[in-house]
Amino acid sequence: MVFGMKEEVENRKMNVKSFRSFLAQRSATTLVVFIALVVIFSLFTRNHVFIGQRNITALGKLFPDLGIIALGVGMLMISGEFDLSVASVLPFTSYIFAQFMLGGYAPFWALLVAIGIGGMLGLLNGIIVVKTNMPSFIVTLATLMFWRGVLFVWSRMMPLNIRPFVERGSLFEQAMNGTVAEFFPIQTVWFIIFSVVLGIILHFHRFGNWIFATGDNRDAARAMGINTNLVKIICFIIVGLLCGLSGGLQTVRLGSFAATQGIGFELRAIAACVVGGVSLRGGIGAMGGIVLGALTIPILDNGLILMRVPVFGITAFIGLATILFVLLNSYVERKLM
Amino acid sequence: MSNENNNSDLLVKMTNIHKWFGRVYAVRGVDFQVRQGETVGLLGDNGAGKSTLIKILCGYHQAEKGDIIFEGKKVRINSPREAQKLGIETVYQDQALAPNLSIARNVFMGREPVKGMGMLDKKLMDEESMKALSNLGLRLDSPDLPVITLSGGGRQGVAIARALHFKAKLVILDEPTVALSVKEVGEVLEFIKQLRKEGISVVFISHNIYHAFSIAERFVVMARGKVMREVTKEEVTLDKLNELVIESAIVDID
Amino acid sequence: MNTANRNYLKKFMLAQSTSILVVLIILFILFAIYSDYRFIRPANIRSLLTFGAEFSLIFLAIGVLMISGEFDLSIGSLLVFSSYIFLKLFQTGLNPFMAFLITLGVGAFLGLLNALITVKGQIPSFVTTLGMMMFWRGFTLLLSGGATESIDFSAHPLFVSSMTGVIGLYFPVQFIWFVVVAVLLGVLLHYHRFGNWIYATGDNREASRAMGINTNHVKIMCFIMVGILCACAATMQLARVSTFTSRAGEGWELRGVAAAVVGGTSLRGGIGNMGGIFLGAMTIATIDNGLVAMRVPYEWSFVVFGLVILFSVLSSMYLEKRRLSG
Repeated sequence: MVFGMKEEVENRKMNVKSFRSFLAQRSATTLVVFIALVVIFSLFTRNHVFIGQRNITALGKLFPDLGIIALGVGMLMISGEFDLSVASVLPFTSYIFAQFMLGGYAPFWALLVAIGIGGMLGLLNGIIVVKTNMPSFIVTLATLMFWRGVLFVWSRMMPLNIRPFVERGSLFEQAMNGTVAEFFPIQTVWFIIFSVVLGIILHFHRFGNWIFATGDNRDAARAMGINTNLVKIICFIIVGLLCGLSGGLQTVRLGSFAATQGIGFELRAIAACVVGGVSLRGGIGAMGGIVLGALTIPILDNGLILMRVPVFGITAFIGLATILFVLLNSYVERKLM
Repeated sequence: MSNENNNSDLLVKMTNIHKWFGRVYAVRGVDFQVRQGETVGLLGDNGAGKSTLIKILCGYHQAEKGDIIFEGKKVRINSPREAQKLGIETVYQDQALAPNLSIARNVFMGREPVKGMGMLDKKLMDEESMKALSNLGLRLDSPDLPVITLSGGGRQGVAIARALHFKAKLVILDEPTVALSVKEVGEVLEFIKQLRKEGISVVFISHNIYHAFSIAERFVVMARGKVMREVTKEEVTLDKLNELVIESAIVDID
Repeated sequence: MNTANRNYLKKFMLAQSTSILVVLIILFILFAIYSDYRFIRPANIRSLLTFGAEFSLIFLAIGVLMISGEFDLSIGSLLVFSSYIFLKLFQTGLNPFMAFLITLGVGAFLGLLNALITVKGQIPSFVTTLGMMMFWRGFTLLLSGGATESIDFSAHPLFVSSMTGVIGLYFPVQFIWFVVVAVLLGVLLHYHRFGNWIYATGDNREASRAMGINTNHVKIMCFIMVGILCACAATMQLARVSTFTSRAGEGWELRGVAAAVVGGTSLRGGIGNMGGIFLGAMTIATIDNGLVAMRVPYEWSFVVFGLVILFSVLSSMYLEKRRLSG
């Protein structure tokens, strides 16, 4: 017997145990942070307004803006790449959506075009990253600036009112900004649908395995015949498509396009994934964690506003929270090694 | 479909293989063959051209010139995928494993069994990976563990189990014993013996003559992109083989 | 073989620097023509050298940091925070030179913080510094309430002239400082042992470690250098405009990366030289100024810098490929 030696067995058992506790620790920290935030905000907001029905409903409408994008960014990060350009792809697709409605298209078709353009911008990011083999955060930092600039120039930073084009009570309006069963905001329903679909792809579909393999050890994945470039490009496209949808949802909710949509999303999307336990090196992460992270960051935003923290303070706080979480993740990861 | 080769027990025959990278002439007209069920030790110093030759065989590189005949048919191997389809599996130096993925997912990486619409057949993956591992004599607690929790020998085991499961006809091991402890080397050599019992041909690349000698039946010594010597185990002792390898390296300098 | 390689490398670097110089000259001509020659008026060239030198000062250190294999996206925020510190120190009645020194210390500390989180936490520096970018900007806005405050240096003419004066009737002193720092860093990078360590760290960290180089230490020093130069630029800017604004330094992080990449610094570390970094920084300053001289609306600068980075990324890929294929 090859593994006959007792100490070898002992040794292996310990590794296994420490790995299990690592996994438990990881999802536990996310959950603890989430619950702690909810409790703190519930206790310390005036009249406990945080858990009031009105605020919960408002959150349910608001959080999917970032949440839906974070789902895609999480998958992309597991494949080993980043996308900072979400912060400008979102308003860009919103503008396309508004412009097409202005041009006489039905809202549904305008939305489809916007989502399609989102996918194309994602494809462009993907192709540049894969073909140049350059760090994706630099490439997407450049496209972040570029599309933001194009948008500012094109829209002259003027808002576009879309209320006249989206009939109140129409099926489209209901699907984008309605409530289900008199309580559930439809945006939350969209978020749930996407987290389930993407979760199934990530954990139970062949493609999910390719995503993990690509992020974990690209050379190995390649040697096993996985087209890692294609995997990455598809992940970039998914992020772009989700940006398009999220931009549509946000625009319908606000009733107008605003050039300031999505500002700050570049770090918030990464922050959500990091809080949800996705490794910055790729290859580690789970949809459950990403969902929790995608809830945590908007709750942090919302709770701090309700506690009357100035907007600048919130920016500072999210920056700090990201770094602390990254440090924690990296500490736990290294303890395992 | 030429079948000029009447030597029917030949599994693979590479003839007059040339390969250069820019100005570097890596492989210069090499003939190399492996018979059914044979274990060949491919020896030579770093830069002798062993790895390049083998990467041509497993589809990583394409030869500039030369033919590959596999099971009597002339083939062109353009990608690792195509090599896998022929039944050529490679176990790389760095093991080609994704450390954070589970054992089962690593065994099936890129060739996952699916139930339809691309959904993974996890049950099959778990059972088959454990079966392949136990065939190698490696018993592990669970197919769900990430390979990072395994020892170096265990990881090589997973990589070799992959070849076993996919019914490889030829398994190429590229320096499988490098960076392993003495005990782990023993384990890996056991795995290879297991492969041989299954009737699988093995090419064992190493610059460690001792490891190669204990496992291979025939030795091919390369230096400077050429085959310098070919001997069977009966023809040499360990010392003699050692001498041959050193000699080949020196002779070439002249 | 070694000397041949070396000659080749030298030729390669020379070719790269020459091509940046050519780009810079073409830019000068284009801007001159398309701005109705406003661009080459002496007053504009002087303002180019003044503004340009302030942030280019930081870009020099960014280039060195990138050679060591790390990034710093927080420079704009480090700058605004140092600026606020200087403002508060000065308002207590402290001698401006003393305030300057303390601000430099604060800048060094901010750089150290970035470095420790990156190095000890083993975190990609772009994430650390992206977080810090948000943190220090938000923190400064929180402290200052987003207000603009004017600052009166009239009692300290020596300080003003050493920070933002004019030498030889024309040359802004900032530009002189910029050249001095470039020369110092150039000597450090190319002729000092530490420079060799920087290259080694960025090129192959494991190998440098094996050779006994303390790569963490090298990176920490590079981050601190960036922090100090941020504080330095912050003070110069305050001295020049006599006003503190909490928007100072916005958008510099991207220009910093652009300058280094345009100058031929590899995004993967280990490749780059001070000549290139210097010219890269000047190129970015020229584009910034030229767009203003052409009266291009502000929004266009995003488009232009996005494109500049994309193009330099593409060209650096091309150069790397050519170098590898020999």
